[in-house]
Amino acid sequence: MEETNFILLWKEQYEKIDQSLVINKRLLKESISQKAESQLQSLIRSKAIGAVIAVLYLVLLGIVLSYAILNYSPTAIYFIMSIGSIFLINVKALHDYIKHLVWANNIDYNGDVVAIQQKLTRLQLSIANHIRVMFLQLPFWTTFYLSSEWFPAEMGWRYIVFQIFLTGSFAYLAYFLFRNLTLANLNKKWVRSLLSGAGGKKVMKALAFYQEIESFKAG
Amino acid sequence: MTPGNQQDIFISTIEAHKGILYKIVNTYCKDEEDRKDLSQEIVIKLWKSFESFDPRFRYSTWMYKIALNVAISHYRKEKRRKNISSPYPESIFNLSDTPVESQTEIHGSFLSRFISQLKELDKALMLLYLEEKSHKEIAEILGITETNVATRIGRIKVVLKQKFSQTIT
Repeated sequence: MEETNFILLWKEQYEKIDQSLVINKRLLKESISQKAESQLQSLIRSKAIGAVIAVLYLVLLGIVLSYAILNYSPTAIYFIMSIGSIFLINVKALHDYIKHLVWANNIDYNGDVVAIQQKLTRLQLSIANHIRVMFLQLPFWTTFYLSSEWFPAEMGWRYIVFQIFLTGSFAYLAYFLFRNLTLANLNKKWVRSLLSGAGGKKVMKALAFYQEIESFKAG
Repeated sequence: MTPGNQQDIFISTIEAHKGILYKIVNTYCKDEEDRKDLSQEIVIKLWKSFESFDPRFRYSTWMYKIALNVAISHYRKEKRRKNISSPYPESIFNLSDTPVESQTEIHGSFLSRFISQLKELDKALMLLYLEEKSHKEIAEILGITETNVATRIGRIKVVLKQKFSQTIT
């Protein structure tokens, strides 16, 4: 087929369509009116439900933590340190989530296609980062119930060894997951499985698209 | 400019460039319902961006950038778009009559099919090429170099030729 034929074919195919193409002005007006806007807003609201639940959880943790601090007792040091760390990790995760949510809804599509698509894809891939940060709270769930009133002084060596083993295992697991739940490891099946509950398929799709963009840019 | 006035200008702009939007929607969506949703999403994004439109640029360039960005993002947002799908049974873009299919038009529909089978960014590239945009303009809309535009178009044309020869023979 001659080089110019593709353009010619395309032109001929759409020539008639161009002539018979009609715009539904009423629908167009309605689409750009407040009505359409509110549909988009309701979507944003539905996405924000997760953030609201997280805020409520943080408020609850905050109340418990404030109570423990206000009624400070040296025996509650493990509790304050553990819940405080869990609180901070969740604040960080929520902050990142909201930041990305706002960013996603404010992206100006009037930019060159490759740059905008790369931005959108990076945003989608950032889900992996939220999850790995959340895992950092694991070891603190094994220490919040301890009290300096009875630990370690009043416990036998067996319990102390068990506690060290438990917290140590959770700390190692948290460290391991934090180190390995990265985009570079998405080729590993267990990483994909772990992320699947949080939109892993989308992450994989986004990753494939990210690679496509990179190869497109390279020429 | 009053809001009503701005809306009228926007509608005339869409009217003047309706072909661009129709072709993009048609290239990126096979399903009729999907097309309706995508048309609406593109129009909403265009309207949102219309206020900040820089008159130094061409309307068509602005429209291509936004429409292509929305269309390419479409497949990753499928679920989301289903949630906001329009309650309207109609479509923004309609054909007043069904064109009769001649031999050329059948070949044209093969071309459309082959283009829609390309990767998302290659589709955008070929769409702009078939719309006879210069390499410079394509490079500006897509954000790649002119050399890259030329190289990729050359490669895709080879693939298209092969597909045509396999289908027609």
